[in-house]
Amino acid sequence: MKPRALQAVSVGVALLVWEGAARAGLVDPLFVPAPTAVAIALRRVLGEALPALGRTLLTALVAYALAVCLGVGLGLIIGARRYLGEVLSPFLIAAYGVPKILVLPWIILILGTGAAPAVLYGTLHGFFPVLLLVIGGVRDVDRSWLTVARAFGARPWQLYSRVILPAIVPAVLAGMRLGIVFALLGVLVVEMFAGVRGMGAELAARANAFQAPELFAATLLVSTVSIAIVLALDALGDRLSRWR
Amino acid sequence: MPPGARTGADVAEAHIVVEGVTKRFETSSGPVLAVKDVSLAVARREFCTIIGPSGCGKSTLLAMIGGLVPPDAGTILIDGRPQPGPDPRRVALVFQDPGLLPWRTALDNIAFGLELRGVPRPDRRRIAGDLLGPLGLREFAERYPRELSGGMRQRVAIGRALALDSEIVLMDEPFGALDEQTRLLMGEWLLSVWTRARKTVVFVTHSLQEALFLSTRVVALTARPGRVKSVLDLPLPYPRDLESAELASFRAKLWGEIREESLKAMEP
Amino acid sequence: MLAPRAAIGLGVVLAWEVAARAGDPLLYVPPSRVLPALARLLALRSFPSLPEHLGLTLREILVAYVLAVGVGLAVGFVLGLWPELGRIYAPLLGALYAVPSVVWYPSLMLLFGLDAASKIAFGFLLGVYPIVVAVLAGVRQVSRELVTMARAFGAGRARVFTKVVLPSMLATLTGGLRAGLALTVVGVIVGEVLGSKAGLGYLINYAYGLLRTADYVALVLLTLGIVLAIDGAAVLAERRARRWT
Repeated sequence: MKPRALQAVSVGVALLVWEGAARAGLVDPLFVPAPTAVAIALRRVLGEALPALGRTLLTALVAYALAVCLGVGLGLIIGARRYLGEVLSPFLIAAYGVPKILVLPWIILILGTGAAPAVLYGTLHGFFPVLLLVIGGVRDVDRSWLTVARAFGARPWQLYSRVILPAIVPAVLAGMRLGIVFALLGVLVVEMFAGVRGMGAELAARANAFQAPELFAATLLVSTVSIAIVLALDALGDRLSRWR
Repeated sequence: MPPGARTGADVAEAHIVVEGVTKRFETSSGPVLAVKDVSLAVARREFCTIIGPSGCGKSTLLAMIGGLVPPDAGTILIDGRPQPGPDPRRVALVFQDPGLLPWRTALDNIAFGLELRGVPRPDRRRIAGDLLGPLGLREFAERYPRELSGGMRQRVAIGRALALDSEIVLMDEPFGALDEQTRLLMGEWLLSVWTRARKTVVFVTHSLQEALFLSTRVVALTARPGRVKSVLDLPLPYPRDLESAELASFRAKLWGEIREESLKAMEP
Repeated sequence: MLAPRAAIGLGVVLAWEVAARAGDPLLYVPPSRVLPALARLLALRSFPSLPEHLGLTLREILVAYVLAVGVGLAVGFVLGLWPELGRIYAPLLGALYAVPSVVWYPSLMLLFGLDAASKIAFGFLLGVYPIVVAVLAGVRQVSRELVTMARAFGAGRARVFTKVVLPSMLATLTGGLRAGLALTVVGVIVGEVLGSKAGLGYLINYAYGLLRTADYVALVLLTLGIVLAIDGAAVLAERRARRWT
């Protein structure tokens, strides 16, 4: 059997087992609702959840655009200058690995609750993977391509436009793929933490109200949209990388 | 008078004149003298091969003629004028690593130099397209480098150099990474292209066979630091029979010059 | 290398001092006020129960990481050594992690409440993935020729595993274990900040809620220090492990 079919079958079986366990009373329906209950709740939830999701996605999109611009721009600069990259590298890696939520309370303190801290924090999250991957991509550009271009009369700006930029496209795409998940993550965290209107606040509210089926339904909604976005970016990436 | 010039008049008419050129490199273990006081002249439409043991500076010399690297001392004149930097209108280069841009098709790679010069798209596609026949790549115009064999990639690289229609083509061990059969075939193909295109070629190799098969003149360099050891003229017609007695005597002469230097290069 | 980096660090601290003095003292705390706050914190005067909170956070990290390593290695090796299974379930796992992890946290809070269990679960969820990925990648890059050679010399399945597969993938594996630890730490702390009754994250939230900004900054610095220390210890452990091969 083909992998896709087996995946679908596995998911189906898992759902059946879950449904069976819920009906047999093996799990407390207050905490783990049956899939059918979740499906019913999904209809109810769509009314409030969809606008919230839209708001979150819009904020994430703005944060994402900023993150990509900053990440690619700085990545090109730092990647092209070996010394700069080496000096900054421990700072960048440390900043990437540290829980950025530590600065969130301070950001909220200064910017209040609303779109601004969400965009800022989303950008902060989405920026790092793009930056690090672009730096790596620039560092990996084959020197012989640059030598060839120089030998054929390329001027400095042409070295960027004809060699470096096309060469780093796979790295940029990889960064962008991570970046969207991270930017979305950042926005959701702000919404959960500060109650800013959006999907994160929606999920937190359902959890606090112990509305398990609605919570699961909303979670399912967000997950599906997120997976769809990433799959779309993957397909786009494959299209643009036919030459590999 | 630079070796290789037959008379003073030749120097004046020579296409490329290298005079007293020296180049030093800074390495982690201190400065290294790659090329020392090298002088030679290359006449128009000549196929001049530079041969020598590993590390003798022949690639450095070629890079200097191509304007990629400035000499520390001496001058290099092309058509009587010095070269401050790469000038693809006069001199085109082919490297051992074809250096094709992997995100471009074969055709777009051939057109690369033209694109950098600002030639409009339809014109450069036409010029590159016209070269596909002689390059034997007509069916591969829209393929990507990863779909091409080593020999094909090198043909694209040579096509890229030819597309600029410069008078001089420099080649740095272009067939070095290919297997023997392919090398022989590429050598024959290169000769056919050269006789038609009538360019001045400076060809670097460490293969005696290639030097004898392809060139009108061979310049042998010493081991590092490279100096001109001797110049051998090969006034033989093409195509050449590698088994002929004439070529054998030239080979013996050439090997005699090179063997000593190769031994020196092998010493630590 | 140390000199320019130290210069950058110093420059940042100076800029922070100057900028913070110009702003509202409730919101902007310059280093000159953070240092005494840090001293008060470490002397247990600002939060006498600090050791209990710190201990709880560290225990949560430990449990979450042990779980992540156990499950991660198991799942990774099962999917890696049985490629038929791997081809089916690895993409499913990948799809699951295309979702921003914090999406699962409200569900975890519903299931496990505000106690340590939800933080452990979240830390586990974040930390397990890099380990699975590292095991899969590591297994995949083991040279087939080496395995064939070992079999030819009479090694059974188990010996092939311990003598060839494991050493070959050690570098990738330790990288994944390190990444897993870093993510587990992030998960636990995020979980604590978003909703908990105790722990470092809870304290940070508490200080922020009371607008004790200097104490908040001191707590953040302490947490940063601990996180960096844990990551640093992981790097050292990784280097030691690599030296064995």
